[in-house]
Amino acid sequence: MSPLDLDTPPVLPRGADGEGSVQVQLDPSMKIDTAKVFAVYGKGGIGKSTTSSNLSAAFSKLGHRVLQIGCDPKHDSTFTLTGRLVPTVIDTLKEVDFHSEELRPEDYVYEGFNGVKCVEAGGPPAGTGCGGYVVGQTVKLLKQHHLLDDTDVVIFDVLGDVVCGGFAAPLQHADRALIVTANDFDSIYAMNRIIQAVQAKSKNYNVRLAGCVANRSKDTDEVDRYCKTVGFNRLAHLPDLDAIRRSRLKKKTLFEMDPDEDIVAVQKEYMRLAEVLWNGTEPMAPESLPDREIFELLGFD
Amino acid sequence: MKLTVWTYEGPPHVGAMRVATAMKGLHYVLHAPQGDTYADLLFTMIERRDHRPPVSYTTFQARDLGSDTATLFKESCKDAFDRFQPEAIIVGASCTAELIQDDPGGLSESMGLPVPVIPLELPSYQRKENFGASETFYEICRALSAPVERTPEITCNILGPTALGFRHRDDVVELSSILESLGIAVNVVAPLDATPADIQRLGVAHFNVMLYPETCETACRWLEREYKQPFTKTVPIGVGATRDFIAEVKAIAGLPDTVVDDSRLRLPWYSRSVDSTYLTGKRVFIFGDGTHAIAAARIAKEEMGFEVVGLGCYNREFARPVRACAKELGLEALITDDYLEVEAAIEALQPEMILGTQMERHIGKRLGIPCAVISAPVHVQDFPARFSPQVGWEGANVIFDTWVHPLVMGLEEHLLHMFREDFEFHDDAGASHHGSHTPAAQKRRVVEEKTDTPEPVIKDGVTWLAGAEKELRKIPFFVRGKARRNTEKFAVEQGVTSISIETLYEAKAHYAR
Repeated sequence: MSPLDLDTPPVLPRGADGEGSVQVQLDPSMKIDTAKVFAVYGKGGIGKSTTSSNLSAAFSKLGHRVLQIGCDPKHDSTFTLTGRLVPTVIDTLKEVDFHSEELRPEDYVYEGFNGVKCVEAGGPPAGTGCGGYVVGQTVKLLKQHHLLDDTDVVIFDVLGDVVCGGFAAPLQHADRALIVTANDFDSIYAMNRIIQAVQAKSKNYNVRLAGCVANRSKDTDEVDRYCKTVGFNRLAHLPDLDAIRRSRLKKKTLFEMDPDEDIVAVQKEYMRLAEVLWNGTEPMAPESLPDREIFELLGFD
Repeated sequence: MKLTVWTYEGPPHVGAMRVATAMKGLHYVLHAPQGDTYADLLFTMIERRDHRPPVSYTTFQARDLGSDTATLFKESCKDAFDRFQPEAIIVGASCTAELIQDDPGGLSESMGLPVPVIPLELPSYQRKENFGASETFYEICRALSAPVERTPEITCNILGPTALGFRHRDDVVELSSILESLGIAVNVVAPLDATPADIQRLGVAHFNVMLYPETCETACRWLEREYKQPFTKTVPIGVGATRDFIAEVKAIAGLPDTVVDDSRLRLPWYSRSVDSTYLTGKRVFIFGDGTHAIAAARIAKEEMGFEVVGLGCYNREFARPVRACAKELGLEALITDDYLEVEAAIEALQPEMILGTQMERHIGKRLGIPCAVISAPVHVQDFPARFSPQVGWEGANVIFDTWVHPLVMGLEEHLLHMFREDFEFHDDAGASHHGSHTPAAQKRRVVEEKTDTPEPVIKDGVTWLAGAEKELRKIPFFVRGKARRNTEKFAVEQGVTSISIETLYEAKAHYAR
């Protein structure tokens, strides 16, 4: 018997709550307030999971307590850390008919390399449901079990799709977003779109861009040219090493591979990146390019 | 969330109150409207405590909502500190106050009180009392405990007992004496009777005894991570569980596996008694909190020789072990916080005894099935003056008495029913030792007989004739329901529409075959 609401809802200026988004603000009880939170983005197949896992390993080597959350329904984000495909949060929730209070941390948190805690959010079958819901449930569970209280670094390994809720949800929790790219047009183009999306989110959330990682690339000239144009920053460069591919086949992080010269160099680069991120990066505010201009910039027109 | 008349658990802030009330030197500032102060009565009237809970309510009213409830909260906080001078304060909101979103944690932090202030975030509309207690105790441990050096000798903490718990006070005494007999000193019992200073030195102990997982599992797990204190997983309720618990403690403490002194245990005395088997195979239905329900199932099956026909719990946090336990017994666990569902299950199963909470005791009364109480939610009679623990040897003795008496009394009642119409023992016969066997006034009896004549009862198209209905009453009440249902089923199968005495006996013969 609520009275008739005669007030019309407020008209928000266009894009005030993110590009085209009308979603509500983050529930304050869902805030991750003790750990440093990073979200790793990038085009599909560019090496987000490889970068996330090796970065997690590097953070743990620096003595931090690390939690990596794989947000891709493929649930293979943490598999080089744990050496296997672990059951996802959604699988586990299904088992208890979504009565999350029945769960205990060991049901969905698995310890991986050097004590890194690994969680796979999982997700709905391809083409259905909402990845954002899944990430939300995962954070809720982690909060419920106080796992975030005892963590220094949280890494969200996000899925490549820019339009999905699973893309947006980690941004609500993250302090810094990191973009993985390669020195080619497609991945830089994707990075441009991601920058656009993150900037839209940063109006309402604390998330800021940290910079990008040039992955699986011999050179970085194209990435650097783009960064210079939009005012972005490249934080690390990882060469196209066969050892990185092999480490995935062996279900291991780079820190567990035989230390030949190349591998030691890559390990050092990951350690350096972890240190840079831990010490804090300046919040970046790059201006993403309109599609037309990026074509011109990278000379593919 | 459902609307209900009775609930097994209160909202989470009641759990926080149970912890605050159990402790000493701790004060709880609760942002709550006037009506929420009712919870005080649970502690003073049911548990009969000698003081009101150490809780200051902000008791905002409708008119405060128009002004400044945040200032009201801060003033209550300051007043509480000035008046009670606690060593530490916990702050939070009741379910009603959560809606106005004043953030008691942030407000109290900004006040700069000279004692630790611990904010509680309890999701009132998703979780319940046990979670509230568990979470509050965890937050207190987290905020107040400090890294300290271990004692040279082996010591432990007993964690979990709270105010308003089912026999918690006596369990602590019994458990301490068992630990003492093993040569293990108790460092701190918490929350019950612990001060914030006691919490500070939890880390001194070598391990923790998780007495009630419902209220302390979160804290035990954190203490294990933070101070590397292992914790016991067996809850020593029942003879077998007590033996397992002692073995577990010995393994943790690295003690030799010597013979256990169980001289206080009286169960074997009963087992050896001549008529001990007449309770064997009794069908029991078990419902309570997860921990007590699982313990009761084991005792019922392994120690009493009962048949467990139903098992369940109301707290979903412990649904999984209960389900596993039920599966072992070949049952499907009943996990619900709706007492009407429990009642329906009991009615369908027609057990000979219920082992439940006070809620099931009411159900038992309605259905005419005896019930022994094994778990919270508590009732004033669960706080007896005499020593009556549930854990350890004495606990096993107490449980034995508690469970056997309703069954023995049940038999007695059956005998009373059977002889009710005997010329010597009828209601008006008067006591035999008075030497007066003259029946009282016949007049009243006639009237009674008139009202006593059962009206033909029609159910599912089957009519019970008066004679059959009367005969049915001679059947012991604890199997009467089953006899009635079987007879009706038989009648329907035979195409008989009215049940006479003959039908009743034919049905009896049919099912005996």
